[in-house]
Amino acid sequence: MFKIFLNTVFRKLYLQKGYSLINILGLATGITCSLLILLWVEYELSFDSFHQNKSQIYSVYENQTYADGETFTVYATPAPLAANLKENIDEIDKATRISRTWGKLMLSTEGSTFVENSGLCVDPDFFKIFSFPVLLGNPNLVMPDERSIVITEKMSKRYFGEDNPLGKTISINTNLKYHVSAVLKDSPKNSSLYFDFLLPFNFIKENWGFNLNNWDSHAFLTIIQIKNNTYIPSLETKIKPYIKQNLKQSNTDLALQKFSDYHLHSINGNKLSPILYIRIFTLVAFIILLIACFNYMNLSTARSERRAREVAVRKVVGAHKRGLFALFMAESIFISLLAFGLAIVLVELLLPFFKELTQRDLTLKLSNPTLLLSFAAIVLFTGFVSGSYPALYLSSFKPIRILKGKLYRDSHLFRKLMVIIQFIISVALIICSSVIYRQLDFLQDKDVGYQKDNIIYIEMLDNFQKHYPKLKENLIKIPGVLKVTAANQMPINFTNSTSDISWKGKSKDAKDVLFQLSFVDYDFIETFEMEVLQGRAFSSKQGADSLKLVINEAAASVMNMKYTIGEKVKIWDYEGEVIGIVKNFNFNSLQVGVKPLLMLMSSDEFKYIAIKTSGDEQPIINKIRETWSKSFPKIPFSYRLLKDDFSYLYKAESRMSLVFISFTLIAIIISALGLFGLSSYIIEQKYKEMGIRKVFGAEFQNLLRSFLYRFLKWILLANLIAWPIAYFLMQWWLAGFAYRIHISWMEFLGAGLLSILIAFITVFYQSYKISTIAPIKAIRYE
Amino acid sequence: MIKTNNLMKKFRTNEVETTALNNVNLEINEGEFVAIMGPSGCGKSTLLNILGLLDNPSSGELFFYNERVDGYNERQRTNLRKENIGFVFQSFNLIEELTIYENVELPLLYMKVSSSERKRRVNETLDRMKIMHRAKHFPQQLSGGQQQRAAIARAVITNPKLILADEPTGNLDSTNGEEVMNLLTQLNETGTTIVMVTHSPSDADRSHRIIQLFDGHIVTENMRQKL
Repeated sequence: MFKIFLNTVFRKLYLQKGYSLINILGLATGITCSLLILLWVEYELSFDSFHQNKSQIYSVYENQTYADGETFTVYATPAPLAANLKENIDEIDKATRISRTWGKLMLSTEGSTFVENSGLCVDPDFFKIFSFPVLLGNPNLVMPDERSIVITEKMSKRYFGEDNPLGKTISINTNLKYHVSAVLKDSPKNSSLYFDFLLPFNFIKENWGFNLNNWDSHAFLTIIQIKNNTYIPSLETKIKPYIKQNLKQSNTDLALQKFSDYHLHSINGNKLSPILYIRIFTLVAFIILLIACFNYMNLSTARSERRAREVAVRKVVGAHKRGLFALFMAESIFISLLAFGLAIVLVELLLPFFKELTQRDLTLKLSNPTLLLSFAAIVLFTGFVSGSYPALYLSSFKPIRILKGKLYRDSHLFRKLMVIIQFIISVALIICSSVIYRQLDFLQDKDVGYQKDNIIYIEMLDNFQKHYPKLKENLIKIPGVLKVTAANQMPINFTNSTSDISWKGKSKDAKDVLFQLSFVDYDFIETFEMEVLQGRAFSSKQGADSLKLVINEAAASVMNMKYTIGEKVKIWDYEGEVIGIVKNFNFNSLQVGVKPLLMLMSSDEFKYIAIKTSGDEQPIINKIRETWSKSFPKIPFSYRLLKDDFSYLYKAESRMSLVFISFTLIAIIISALGLFGLSSYIIEQKYKEMGIRKVFGAEFQNLLRSFLYRFLKWILLANLIAWPIAYFLMQWWLAGFAYRIHISWMEFLGAGLLSILIAFITVFYQSYKISTIAPIKAIRYE
Repeated sequence: MIKTNNLMKKFRTNEVETTALNNVNLEINEGEFVAIMGPSGCGKSTLLNILGLLDNPSSGELFFYNERVDGYNERQRTNLRKENIGFVFQSFNLIEELTIYENVELPLLYMKVSSSERKRRVNETLDRMKIMHRAKHFPQQLSGGQQQRAAIARAVITNPKLILADEPTGNLDSTNGEEVMNLLTQLNETGTTIVMVTHSPSDADRSHRIIQLFDGHIVTENMRQKL
């Protein structure tokens, strides 16, 4: 029985080669896309899911409320919080603070020196909360004391080769010595916590002199592990006012987020968080698969008239409707299985490009049971959905009508509907991808209010500040170097902020306003070509500028002073004088608007040296490297280009848009295939009619016109439906950006014309084909 | 009006070659009414289709008003057809989606006749064929006889010099068949040349001349006395 089934299926596929090809290829393309997206989504969802206690691990984050009604949400919490929570709240079992090491550190073993920036400072509970496998050392006491360092396998190889590293000494910045207490397996790529080495949290105090008892300094990630059966809402209520209980004047509430949500869910309610993209792409995968299924249904029912006789004969010789339904269903599932096989091959071929596109380490592991189940579900879904309508339609044919030559012709509406839906989706996708592309392009090219071209910057090591003046003197002498300056942060991402600011006229009951704070050197404003609107920039010619302030327009407007220039502003305990106002410039991602900013001079805080060059950077960089090596032969030279880092800010979005545009293209191709199939079908139906028309004088252009008219009606309808959908979707998406483009009517017109062009090409081909055939063949055709 | 020299038509499938017409030589004069008869599969319809430029001969020559037309391209054929030839088929070949009025109007559309002129001619022809009352109906709502009269109306609307009819009464009962034959005879009497394929001896009786085909050959040609 099965053999007969297989035989008939293969014979049918072979006899209708063109049709089978379109059908299987269309379906395979659809499945390929969904598989690729599925792999990516699975990867993103797998982030941090390898921790055994994942359901009990939570991040504690802060909601800081400011005068303008804005809430500032950050993971940064005070250092004393973790231990306090653990001690005082019963439901909390374990707690750790986590801090990235600040900037670059110089690590040395006997004989070698390395510059590292991927270390974490943690508390001992870190190793009990998270599941990073211990390869060497005591798994129950990974970090036994304050002088322990835990390193990864990769770092161990780099530092000690094949030797056993346990007990060996690593010095940090020459003065602090640590011994290796354990070696961990490298942190997986799908871990939000990425590190090469782990230090005791106290390192922050030892190395940078940071006060770890200050409740008013928010800088560290706090992670807790709760006890089993903890009722989260009640725990949240206990945690919420915790900072205010310890610090009366605080504006900060605490909240909890599941650590497994850390990677994809944003805490600040930003709707453009990664999980949104995951959802959009899951939807896109589903839509593409659905379009492919629609095609299959369309083509199968279209061909059904050819199969009507088969159905009639089968029924006459005794087949039941149910049996026929099962037969057609089995055929469809079988074809989707074939398409699936082809899709697996295509996925393997395309995976390297897709990995590049998503920047993720994706693999097609057929041994993975979840994946296997999902695949089975895809095949069944595709087979079932795409087969259901043809199976129902075919099995319900009345044999006597068919044998008398009368066919059902009532499925037109259904088929038209499917093509219209396909085109609605395609047109909407075309418009969306165009808007997304333009918006991201706009962000890349937007005038951010400072110069980002021809600037290279160097991150300083700790305690390097004292060498900076001498280095600046040497650097400025290099031909092609126009300006040298330093700051605690680069304008692409200002992160230091404070609300402890007061000025004359600030009302007593005014709530706090969050100011960005930047510590800069002379020439900072000139290097980045920021525009001074009033007063002046910092200048060495003016004597001591160390207690002077340059503020931005936003800050001036918040403080609402009478004169501004010359007014006094108090930051913490220091009083400074405003000497200039610069035009607003964007110091964060353009998704966020401009915030009030204060710039002041303080060489103790410098972390970056910025160098403006005259262009043609490579030879100048070589010269800078030479100068560097002469001054600091032991410290490796490394630099970054500001422009590259700026592009990086939008890399996630750029990637998304690329992926989105690729899938849009595929959806369009599948839709075009669908239209091709349907137009073949309609033309097949109209074969005789066209023959008659030809007998009575119709020429090619008459036939083309009559077909075009038929299809254009649907395409126009699809456009009319797709336009508002795309418009509202894109308005909603754009609303997430502080700076955005306007949606242009050209986008709608373009999408409309493109869809018409696709329809025209298919219909032209079919009309041409029919117009070249002797009319009598068409008339005789049954 | 029509002349053929050694007309051949061969059909080829993968392995078999069938000769449908073999060295057919014939001449049809203007104003004649010619019937083509013969058993099923002898090539009658094939001959008619080639005469109407609906199909191409494999070899041989075809002349229309002394002009050789077998080598015409698709556009030339279409033009020749629409200006000179009307077709009537056994299965009517009306377009299901169009009303009787629109079916009849169709050839005029392709001849780019003005809309007022079209209206006048369609109404006049439908009236002549006695189906004016059915103008707004669709083909499947009409009886076979009415459908064939509509098909004849469509064939004559352009005032063709030649009408090719392929078993025009084949799908009709005797009363309706008789009516259709009357129409064709009337047309012939007003000067239209008619070539008709038929199985029916009584229909053939209406013609001036009967051409008998057998296995692709012309076997006999009988001149008949016009009644």
